[in-house]
Amino acid sequence: MSHEAHAAESHEEHPPTTIREYVMIGLVLTVVTIVELWASYNEPILGSLLVPALFIMSAFKFAVVVAMFMHLRFEHSLLWKLFSFGLVLGTAMILAMTLLFWNDATDAVGGPEFHTGSTLNEASKPGGAPAPAKH
Amino acid sequence: MAAAAHETQPATQHHTTMGIDNRKVLMWIFLASECLFFGALISTYLIFKGDSLVGPYPKEILNIPVTSASTFVLLMSSLTMVLAVYGAQHGRLGMMKVMLLATVLLGIGFLGFQAYEFTEFVHEGLGLTTNQFGSSFFVLTSFHGAHVTVGVLYLLSLLLASNRRTGLGHDRALHIDLAGLYWHFVDVIWIVIFTIIYLIPN
Repeated sequence: MSHEAHAAESHEEHPPTTIREYVMIGLVLTVVTIVELWASYNEPILGSLLVPALFIMSAFKFAVVVAMFMHLRFEHSLLWKLFSFGLVLGTAMILAMTLLFWNDATDAVGGPEFHTGSTLNEASKPGGAPAPAKH
Repeated sequence: MAAAAHETQPATQHHTTMGIDNRKVLMWIFLASECLFFGALISTYLIFKGDSLVGPYPKEILNIPVTSASTFVLLMSSLTMVLAVYGAQHGRLGMMKVMLLATVLLGIGFLGFQAYEFTEFVHEGLGLTTNQFGSSFFVLTSFHGAHVTVGVLYLLSLLLASNRRTGLGHDRALHIDLAGLYWHFVDVIWIVIFTIIYLIPN
């Protein structure tokens, strides 16, 4: 063993995961991704369960990579707390912003009257201005 | 006695009072701040993706099979990266170098898929300023692509440094571990982006 390799081994604590376990984790992540794809292409089968199922599978993959590949499971709790802090804040921001803009009427120029007032009526007439498309 | 004890410590160790190397703490703080950065971009995409007044719209243009292939490539790059970290921590330098090279190549492959996707979108009429969906989509995925590019350069620099006569020195395992943390973070962010942009019905 070289001096460099010996020095690294003597000063570092290694996570107990083996190569075989890492490969198995990679396989599990691949299988979950295939299931996600299948679910995405089979929307009618899952119906309203599709979006929650996709989020759960995504969260599972996220957690597995962070815990096992980034070794957060084996690290000092301070690192876990630091990362969780940023993750919770980021997730809270996504939720807050999405909820804030959930109702499109709050976006419309002129407020809710915009949708019930003359502008919409004009748009509905033949030759009138087209209503904004929402996709 | 104290001087002798001091001499046995490698000059490059920077442990905090809790026994964690402060460079590792710094990397985790950086990654936590990146959660907020991508959180802002993802919420912007969620708000604006449905507000386009003109096409192309998401369901008309997103190519799920191609992006699934690029997602698989990035996922496999995480596996090769963790094996590179394993090699560095267990003194298996050959394995470390091969896996680092594989990670770099897979990262370049992912960027190739992204360049192909962007080119296709532009040919189909979706640019950065075409509509709200285009703006938010390109900003989010481009910033992720920029992170992958930085990661590729980071890993490439480590690969080149490991081939020097002195290698990466006493802190080799830590250097590879820190690069691995960054690379895996880029992967987990893509896991979220892939689900939100491509898999959830528009």
